[in-house]
Amino acid sequence: MNSFKKHALKLSREYTQANFALVLSIVVSLVFLINSFNYKEGKIKSLVFTIFLVYALFTLYQFFLTWKIKKDLLKFGAIQPITRKLGYIQLLSILSANVFTASFAFNLIKNKKTPDYTFAVYMLFTQLFVIAISAFNMFKPYVTDTFLPAMGILVGILVFQVVTLVLVSKYVQDESAPSWFLVIAIVLIASSVTGNLFNLLLGISLIVKIRSHDRSRIIKWNTIWGKITRNSTAILGMFFIILMLSLSVCSKYTFDYDMAVENDYGSLLQQPSLEHPFGTDDFGRDLFSRIIFGARISLLVGFASTIIPLIIGGVLGAIAGYYTKRADNIIMRLLDILYAIPGILLAIAIIAAFGANTMNLILALSVGAIPSYARTMRANVLMVSNYEYVDSARALGASDFSIIFKQIVPNSLAPMIVKATLTIGGAVIATSSLSFLGLGVEPHIPEWGNILKIGSTYLESHSYLAIIPGLAIIGLVLSFNFLGDGLRDAFDPRMD
Amino acid sequence: MELHKEPSLNFGFSAHLSYVFEKMMKRPSYKYLLLVLGLPLHLIIFFFYQSKRKSDTYFTIHKIINESLQTAGLKEKLLSDFKEQYVRKHAFFQEKVDEQQMNREVDRLAEERYSKILAEKINDEYERQGLTKLNYISYFQRLLKNPLFLIVSFIPGVLMYILLLLFSNFFIKFIFERLIMSVFVIAGVSVLVFTILYLSPFDPAANLLGESATKEQIASFNHTYGLDLPYLMQLWNAVKGIFTFDLGASFTGNEDVAASIANKFPITLTIAIFSLLMAIVIAIPVGIISATRQNTFLDYSFMFIALIGLSIPNFWQGLIFILNFSIKLQWLPATYNPQNMLSIIMPVIVLGTGLTASVARMTRSSMLEIINEDYIITAKAKGLNERQVLWKHAIGNAMIPIITVIGLLFGDMLGGAAVTEKVFNISGIGSYIVDKQFIPDIPAIMGGVIYIAITISLVNVLIDILYAFFDPRIRSKMKQL
Repeated sequence: MNSFKKHALKLSREYTQANFALVLSIVVSLVFLINSFNYKEGKIKSLVFTIFLVYALFTLYQFFLTWKIKKDLLKFGAIQPITRKLGYIQLLSILSANVFTASFAFNLIKNKKTPDYTFAVYMLFTQLFVIAISAFNMFKPYVTDTFLPAMGILVGILVFQVVTLVLVSKYVQDESAPSWFLVIAIVLIASSVTGNLFNLLLGISLIVKIRSHDRSRIIKWNTIWGKITRNSTAILGMFFIILMLSLSVCSKYTFDYDMAVENDYGSLLQQPSLEHPFGTDDFGRDLFSRIIFGARISLLVGFASTIIPLIIGGVLGAIAGYYTKRADNIIMRLLDILYAIPGILLAIAIIAAFGANTMNLILALSVGAIPSYARTMRANVLMVSNYEYVDSARALGASDFSIIFKQIVPNSLAPMIVKATLTIGGAVIATSSLSFLGLGVEPHIPEWGNILKIGSTYLESHSYLAIIPGLAIIGLVLSFNFLGDGLRDAFDPRMD
Repeated sequence: MELHKEPSLNFGFSAHLSYVFEKMMKRPSYKYLLLVLGLPLHLIIFFFYQSKRKSDTYFTIHKIINESLQTAGLKEKLLSDFKEQYVRKHAFFQEKVDEQQMNREVDRLAEERYSKILAEKINDEYERQGLTKLNYISYFQRLLKNPLFLIVSFIPGVLMYILLLLFSNFFIKFIFERLIMSVFVIAGVSVLVFTILYLSPFDPAANLLGESATKEQIASFNHTYGLDLPYLMQLWNAVKGIFTFDLGASFTGNEDVAASIANKFPITLTIAIFSLLMAIVIAIPVGIISATRQNTFLDYSFMFIALIGLSIPNFWQGLIFILNFSIKLQWLPATYNPQNMLSIIMPVIVLGTGLTASVARMTRSSMLEIINEDYIITAKAKGLNERQVLWKHAIGNAMIPIITVIGLLFGDMLGGAAVTEKVFNISGIGSYIVDKQFIPDIPAIMGGVIYIAITISLVNVLIDILYAFFDPRIRSKMKQL
């Protein structure tokens, strides 16, 4: 009996998540604690210290919850309802922007979690964060004309999302949803134009459950997304990426682009304050706005320079893998030439020849990435084309074209998606590296590499100008890597 | 059966050559190579062969069997069989039969089958009579087995014999093939990079001489650097320059490009090699520890740190290092200085971080895969303790994919060196290329990019050879030509 309970502790997802949230929460609190002292003057920065206290409070409560879960599991083999009720208090930590503990709390209060529930929770988080970050503009002397209506719409969507979350947690089952959810799903999909892709995901998931009569399809959808949503790091990575995406869409209406690009000689190199949360640079431009607008470029270049080689390399790889040895040899030997030059160097050569701008940057990064996608695709196609269903399609008289694109490609896409997710991060780093060298995005555009380039000249006096854009890059790249790892685990049947 | 043919010392030198000759003639590309290299010899031998062939029994046997088959009506029977098949197939798919197309198809199939049956019959006849079929290859082989022939033919056939000798050892053959392949790749890289730079819309002459340059000045500049030649001429000069280490002078400063690249290469390579060493020393133990303690706090922390190492941009890491270790703590110098060995520490760490992180992750996943293999369970069941299983059975096999990853990433590291070199103000090959790209200084950029690509290709050849050394599966695959 005792060993059974120990096993329950090991198996319990909540316990793992509780520990994960606890560790990260401690780390974040420590970061605030370290930064709350001004070492030169020996004074406490009251604002940062207050934030630290709030974080420490929720961390302590998280510690208590973790201990309680452990006790429950060891004593009863399951988490008791009262412990789950205690999780409601921890929901408040979302007000301090502590995603780790808040997402854990949402997981704790619900016993049986569907992917839809998780989507709804993160949808809400994303919206809250977008609104909160945009709200910082209220400390500025003026805001854009579209600020108020845009915020109004965002808050409206937020209210709708809260209602949806409650309904979803109450009515949506593992394999079915009431048919009146269709209205909600359509509204959700429509509202995903704000860039909050969790809306879209939840909408699609609900439609699948309402409309599909094919149980195996629902189960397949649930298993894949179940694996991803249960993976704390993967879903956090996805959250950050979608947050950045949503911010770059909404920033068009809630942020003032002039603040990021127009020189303001009245406020050069100011330290962080409420008006300028990350300070200003040597031309008096608001670093906070610049970082927000920089996300747009990074995401655009990252996605574009992943999708282009994905398609070209995928088609070449599929042809090489499916057709005769000669086609294979010609394509792969030519790609070997491309493969012999490191991506960044090829990009430098192409940009040297055609000039530094965003379009050329995307092309340069794409060309270098083609061979590795082609190799991955070819290996998959070689494997898949030996399966029986391909033989049967051929015996039924299907053309080569339809065999490749209807049978083989869909079944060899999973490794390509994983690879693409993992390489977007690399593309983001390459973009900012090249911009840093002056070979990427045009210098007047607020891009993280460009911002860092300016920051590097003020390293001694105003180091935050170099630190903050770097943290933004790491955050985005880390998120893509987390999501990629999660996708790989979800698609890899060996992990079961 | 095949085992009898395996060459051994007992066979003698000439017999061995003849065996290699037979094997090589089976592959078309080698066949032509052998024929071309030994052309004078083959011409003479072919003459003898023709005279010998006339007296061969092949023609008579062919004639007899062909006649017997035709009288048996084989061809007509095949034709009607195939015709029936064709009609039935179309009836099944409910397609219309096109008379003309059907006849063409049926004729082709019947002809194919007929010649196949004929060849088989002839072979059977040969075997029954105990004859060997005479063709050029077997004739030449028989000659090769004679040492006297070898001595006589040594001078005209020396090139071919060298090739045969090279290919008689599978390992040398592998290295040789791999090198030939690299030469092709390097030539391809040269063409590609030159073409990209050639297509450039920028005009180096106008950029260098300034707006006020006269037409004559620009023309003379273009003439000096061979920029007025047609594309193919320029391409030929560039490729020749790459292989002869003579790239001419750079556009700015008029310095010898090959010499400046040779000057800047050592420091880039030194930093890259130190980074590689750092990666191996740190990452492999970390990966092994993570794999053996899967899903513990230690494992999670290591892999989390590794993922951060993978996500950190080089230049930012460099700046943060300079900020903390040079400006705040003043432990290490901020810029590289060849006289001060301490100044190399930060660039090495910054350049090696990504590699270390990837290798650690790779080691972990490769170890995990190996640990769950059946033979490891067998080893454990035999009663070996953890340490013996790990060191004797697991690590050796887990190393193979890791070596590949290191080879691939070494290339990325050399390519990414430009950024690190810029941050630490190192005058290596990477920063050289970046400095020259604004003009664009075609010979300098091309030289830099291509020589890095060559280095990477050579490293990959080396890794493939190491691979063959470590992995018995690959070795045995190589033996079956």
